[in-house]
Amino acid sequence: MNMERSLIRKEVIPFLKMFGALILSTMITDALLHQFNLVWIGRWLGIPGVILILLSFLYSMRKRKKISFGKPMTLLILHEVLTWLGALMILVHAGIHIYTILPWLALLAMLANVISGMTGKYLLERSRRYMTQKKAIYSQEGFSDDYIEKKLFWDSTTFDLMKKWRAVHLPITLAFVVLGIAHILSIFIFWEWK
Amino acid sequence: MKNKTVILIVAVNLAALILLAIFLPQLMISPGKPIDAHAELATDCFACHTPFIGSPPTKCIACHKVENIGKSTTKGLIIEDEKKNVAFHQKLIEDDCVSCHSDHKGVKAFRPISHFSHNLLEVTLQKQCDSCHNNPVDDLHRKVKGNCAQCHTQNAWMPATFGHEKLFRFDKDHDTECVTCHINNDYDNYTCYGCHEHSRSKIREEHVEEGIRDYENCTECHRSGDEDEAKRIWRSKDFNIKKLKPYEQSENKEKTHKHQYDDNNS
Repeated sequence: MNMERSLIRKEVIPFLKMFGALILSTMITDALLHQFNLVWIGRWLGIPGVILILLSFLYSMRKRKKISFGKPMTLLILHEVLTWLGALMILVHAGIHIYTILPWLALLAMLANVISGMTGKYLLERSRRYMTQKKAIYSQEGFSDDYIEKKLFWDSTTFDLMKKWRAVHLPITLAFVVLGIAHILSIFIFWEWK
Repeated sequence: MKNKTVILIVAVNLAALILLAIFLPQLMISPGKPIDAHAELATDCFACHTPFIGSPPTKCIACHKVENIGKSTTKGLIIEDEKKNVAFHQKLIEDDCVSCHSDHKGVKAFRPISHFSHNLLEVTLQKQCDSCHNNPVDDLHRKVKGNCAQCHTQNAWMPATFGHEKLFRFDKDHDTECVTCHINNDYDNYTCYGCHEHSRSKIREEHVEEGIRDYENCTECHRSGDEDEAKRIWRSKDFNIKKLKPYEQSENKEKTHKHQYDDNNS
């Protein structure tokens, strides 16, 4: 019973708060844009939204050793913040006008990605808690603090639970990327650029 | 299920969606059906769109010859019930169809992608508002002929700057035609000598009697037929902030005096 309560308090409630904040912020932003007759801004928010999400991939590249700069922990925080803000912008952008199927699919894929990402965030924290036990072991073995911190971070991301989560997160991301690119490309082809 | 299998299934589905978008763009990409008149173009996006550019006017003009718009259909049939007074499209300074027409019902047909600007019209036509707009039929507008720009801007009908009650209220004694006070539809100026009631001699006599010598700008104190109110304003010196010039103080004095009643013809 106590364990269940702890699960709700530590994982379910923070997850709902984070996702709820995203939806609430979207509704408030959309209402404000309508209130001040600035709906046109929503149409263009898709562009900065995509840029922020693209920047958030720095963490994914760092994890796969495609780049070597930046602290993994900092990049992960940046990944979470930028995807949240980017998703907010795209939700506001989508809330203004969606008339056809492709952008709807891209939006649904993005939302699935956000939910999956937020789940991953709490799974990662759970795995880190298990890792603290490992920390004691590494300390006893006489490794330096800096080395231990780096090792624990990567250990936590490769924890079995995270591997299972990643098996879900990656295909969803793939769907979002492909549908997003298709939507952007269709806009490039058919938009009135003059 | 192995990770690679999952990714493969997702990839196959995505490929199917992309193929649908390519071969059925009207289903996957088009923001709604085109207007009924363009129904036959529903599956031919590039009839109107040039990739990476948009819908240039040349695409529209290929069917809709500017000189025929409003006069005959694209099939050559004469349009007899055209309501506009002028051939509007022929008077545009440039061809920019999508400024006013968006075509797809999904984004509301005729809701502009950009916004119509009156600057797109030839200068002379910009002043002929009733060439395109119907005259409002309310009591005030029925009496006004032309010169809409005195109260309205080209951006929107409202807000209008006109609020007659701020200058003068129409009470039972002043239920009259605009032209009684505003001669030649000149709403920058007015005269109170436009009716028999207010003859020059009578006005002069009544004001001098009260010791008032500066009485030509009547509405400074008289905001209606209420004499008590006028006296209160005179004593407090709380005059109209926004003043119209009476003709007697305006540059139009010469041309308007001949219309006014004076001591000789009252």
